[in-house]
Order: sequence, then C-alpha cells, then structure tokens
Amino acid sequence: MHELSICQSMLKIVDSTMEQHEGAKLRKIFLDIGRGSTIEPVLLSEAFEVITAGGPYAGTELVINDIPISGRCRDCGRDFTYEELAVGCPNCGSTNIEITAGLELDIKALEVDD
Amino acid sequence: MSRVEIEKKIQSENDRLAQENRKVFSEAGVLVLNIISSPGSGKTTLLEATLDRLADKMNVVVIEGDVSTERDMDRVRAHGASGIQINTGGGCHLSAKMIGAVLGQLDLDSAELVFIENVGNLICPSTYDLGEDVRMVLLSTTEGDDKPMKYPSIFHEASLAVLNKTDLLPHLTYDVEKVEKEIRVLNPDSEILKLSAVTGEGMDAWIEWIMAKLREKKDTQT
Repeated sequence: MHELSICQSMLKIVDSTMEQHEGAKLRKIFLDIGRGSTIEPVLLSEAFEVITAGGPYAGTELVINDIPISGRCRDCGRDFTYEELAVGCPNCGSTNIEITAGLELDIKALEVDD
Repeated sequence: MSRVEIEKKIQSENDRLAQENRKVFSEAGVLVLNIISSPGSGKTTLLEATLDRLADKMNVVVIEGDVSTERDMDRVRAHGASGIQINTGGGCHLSAKMIGAVLGQLDLDSAELVFIENVGNLICPSTYDLGEDVRMVLLSTTEGDDKPMKYPSIFHEASLAVLNKTDLLPHLTYDVEKVEKEIRVLNPDSEILKLSAVTGEGMDAWIEWIMAKLREKKDTQT
C-alpha cells in the first residue's frame, strides 16, 4: 500500500542519475524486489505508470527481479526456502536461522538511449 | 542504448534522514521505541499502562501516528505524556521525514524516553527506519497465531516482539509456542515479552526491560 511513496523515492534516484545523462531517453529501470520487502511488483508498476504518465519517463519499462525469501541455518549451514523455514531448519531443526535473500528493495541500473 | 549502473537502496534517502533523527535523539540522550502493530492490538492501551508506571519517574514523549484524529494523543496526554500527533491523511506509515519535521516541537531535553506509535499496519511501517533505537512489533492474542510467517518483514526487522492480551488466552485457540518459534525463525536475536496491558500481567517485566535499555543507553553515552 506504500508502493506510491516507494515509487516516488525511486524516481528521485532516477532523476539525479538522469541529470548526469542530459538528452538521454530513459527506457528501462532494473529493480531487485524481494518477496519479503513488503512491495508488490504489480502495484509498484501500476503506481509507476500513473506517476510518470505524460512526463519524460512515460512508457519506461520496470524490469523487476522478483527474489524469493530464503534462509540458511546458522548451526548446520543448510540453505532452504521460505516454505521450509516456518518450523525451523529442515536438516537439524534449529531455529537459529539467517534470512539470506528476499528482503531486497534496490534500484540496480537504468537502460537509456543516448 | 547503454546501461547505467546505480546499485542503491530505494530507501536510501529515508535511511539518511533517519540517521539525522537518530543524531538529534542521541544528543538529547533519549531512548526511542518505534511501535508497529495491526490496528486494535492495543498499542495505545499499552502506552497508557506504561505511562501509569513511569510518568512519575521520568518525562515521556509520545509521537502518535494515525491517518486522522487526535484521539490517541488525547489518551496518552491524560496519562502524563507530552508529545505530538501526526496525521498522515491516508498514508499507511510514518517516515523519517515526518518525524524530522516535528522534532523541534518536542521537549526532548527534559525527556528520557520517546515512544513513536506508528500507524496501525504490519506491512508498510516495517521498511521505514525513523531513527529509533528499538523497533518493536506488538501483536495480540486475538489476531490469530499465524501472523509472523504471514508478515515476515516486520518480525525480521523488529528486535523486540511483545504479545499483548495474554489475559484472553483461556478463551482462545492461540498457540503461543508456535508464534514464539516463528518469531525466532525470522529473527533469532529477537527478544519476546508476553503481557496484558489491561490486567497488568507481565507489565513488571516490560517496565524492567525499558529500565534496562535506558541504563544500557546511558552507559554507551558516558
């Protein structure tokens, strides 16, 4: 539900990057969005379309790398998926677990026409 | 066509403003708790019960975040807190910028403790650092025992989880052990407290937890 404010924060970063590439046309924005990041990719894309309509970024494609949540057992070192995580490590039963991926909310790169 | 590398957290601007808030809080020597929960889990009731036990010992500031009304601020003022109400006007979370904008209106210098009562929502507030020392998630027994794995972000981010309304457990099918296990899986370092803000059960341990954090904060500053 806060996709709009996340979209605005993202656009500030895009603006400051595009200022260094005067005259270039923005084509794509590459994002890493973890499934545990609280951001829903479909809603983010919709918010982006609404905010950018009629402006210089209209028609820009959001390329979202959707990253599943995964964890690693700090005791036995086993890697596993989120579905396995609820009851602890599937190998040794420990709850001493580190979330290793799935919380990303990053802007990775832009693709521009020079 | 060319690719421009950025590699930046989308929240980097909020994180920068949160660090500025943290500096202001730190200079005033206050301990700051950011309380996040669903609507109706008892955030304001817990604050009232906490103020009843602390307000004669120290000055407590409360920053209230709500979509609309001053109702929560009126309630905590009646229990001895000073502070300010932020109305987000539909916004589902507080941000570091909103907190920074009201810091000048708070009497932080004479206070020891600041509570930020975030907008009732388990999702959006979890990605906004406000400059707090402790991000706390409050859950209640009436919400059902499946919440941690459904809302992993906040349970991963919070260093303290408090389970409220334990007085109602005899009337509910709520598996406390399962909830504790799910919280630990999402954050093995999370502390967990159980209490009832209404009956007072577990409140002594909660107050002692706050006092210990206050001492810890003072020790790191001297």
